[in-house]
Amino acid sequence: MSFNRESAIQRAREDLAERLSVSENEIETVSVSEQDFPDMSLGAPVDDEMSGQMISGGWRINLGANEKTFEYRADKYQLRLVGFNGTNHVIVS
Amino acid sequence: MNRNNIWIHLGIALVIIGIAAMIGQVRNWQLTKTNTSSEAVKKAKSVSKPIAVKRSVEESEPEVLVKFRPGVNLAEVRKIAAKNNDRIEDNLELVKGLVSIDDLDNLDAETVAEQYRKMSDLVEYAEPNFKIELNDPTTVSPQNLLYRSPDKNAPNDPMFEEQWALNNVGQNGGKENAHIDALKAWAKTQGSQDVVIAVLDSGVDYTHRDLITNMWIRPDNIPQYKDDQLGTFNDKNGFNATDNLSDPMDDNGHGTHCAGIIGAEGNNGEGVSGINWKVEIMPLKFIGRGGFGSTKDAIEAINYAVNRKRAGVNVRVINASWGSTMYSKPLEDAIRAAGEEGILFVAAAGNNSTNNDSRPHYPSNYKLSNVISVAALDRNDQMASFSNFGIKTVHVAAPGKDILSTWLNDEYREASGTSMATPYVAGVAALILASEPDLTVAQLRERVLQSVDKLDALDGKVENGGRINAAKALGN
Repeated sequence: MSFNRESAIQRAREDLAERLSVSENEIETVSVSEQDFPDMSLGAPVDDEMSGQMISGGWRINLGANEKTFEYRADKYQLRLVGFNGTNHVIVS
Repeated sequence: MNRNNIWIHLGIALVIIGIAAMIGQVRNWQLTKTNTSSEAVKKAKSVSKPIAVKRSVEESEPEVLVKFRPGVNLAEVRKIAAKNNDRIEDNLELVKGLVSIDDLDNLDAETVAEQYRKMSDLVEYAEPNFKIELNDPTTVSPQNLLYRSPDKNAPNDPMFEEQWALNNVGQNGGKENAHIDALKAWAKTQGSQDVVIAVLDSGVDYTHRDLITNMWIRPDNIPQYKDDQLGTFNDKNGFNATDNLSDPMDDNGHGTHCAGIIGAEGNNGEGVSGINWKVEIMPLKFIGRGGFGSTKDAIEAINYAVNRKRAGVNVRVINASWGSTMYSKPLEDAIRAAGEEGILFVAAAGNNSTNNDSRPHYPSNYKLSNVISVAALDRNDQMASFSNFGIKTVHVAAPGKDILSTWLNDEYREASGTSMATPYVAGVAALILASEPDLTVAQLRERVLQSVDKLDALDGKVENGGRINAAKALGN
């Protein structure tokens, strides 16, 4: 699977709706920005993961629901959820 | 037969001879045409780059020479030129991004050059095409010449002048001599294919035309790799721990970039030059397409390298341009085992702008006698803003920002990170071994770390306070 900005946002919205057991209509796209991340895990490594230490471009996607903000990070090949319940999650890779 | 018949027969004979001669000539023409066509096909197959159409004598010289910034491709350049009602006269491959441009509006050359200079986000420089009169050398000012006279040790790779890390002459706003002094080092050695350096990464595009001659291929006298659990591998081109199919082809680009820094073939008239013009690069793939991989796969790949060393392959260095903040005892043990086999392990310090003394980054932080941890510098000998540091845990610094190297599918790309600094150190280690193959891993590590240029910017940030210097490392 290969992402562009729009498909990454859409996949993030679907993921959050499922996690929070809410309708996708209740998810607000708060902001989306292009970002340089420090490494190839987009600065959001998961346990037992080693990543290339190359500055990597991608998108920071902030979604809102239940009066909270949730941060996703994506690039062409992956989508991650940052610090959800205290840990990072790889949604798609 | 009467006399009249003789003349008739003679006439017929002459006509027949004439016809035969004509047929022969036609056949010759056909053969010539066929040969020419097949020559043309052969030539077309062997020439990979477009050939510039020669200008007729009636056409004028191109008016301006414009160097576009890295990342602006030829298609975009054409669009920009078309917008200005100009035409690209030639793409001057010798200098990446440099094109000669004809103006179709009859504007003077300085005005045209100024139009391009205004696009400073896209254009590095633009100047009128100075006419050089051979019979009046005093009119040729050195400032007007496009190309610096090459050093006698400089390779002929066309993008070499963009490789500030190897030879910084102040290009693109850099600081002169903020480099690893490759030209001076190459006066002593340009590397050796007796030295094998493993790139433990996302694999390597081993078909890249600037890498292909420096790729390791398992020699016939070395048996195929056999893992007790996983079986026998056809490890002809290296090892792939991600799918156990053993094809280490890169599907990300990161490993190919690191490999090019270490050993893109030098002086082959192609692309860039590695620190080692000649070396053997062994791809060990444990990172997938996304740019990350598991500790277990990294260990499996290190295990492979150690196995090959024991089988007789001269693996002397592992380049590890990756990491995380997760400590792993098995990974530490695997790297120690590689050290016991005489393999130096060069690791990236990380890109979080943090202090590794207080927030460890692994594998660079393992306190092992075969590990070198590497921070990144920019083209002005300043610590790159993203680079991790640590007076106790980061050993040395190397160029790591805006580094041009090989990428997938015969391409080239600039990239930044301690990922890019690490292969400069690994590459210098390989260069030392080309000159002194019998050094132990401890001696090799010591040599790399003791032959640096001390920098104020690294004072208190990096253990030895210095940037690697290839020439000093070789005693030059």
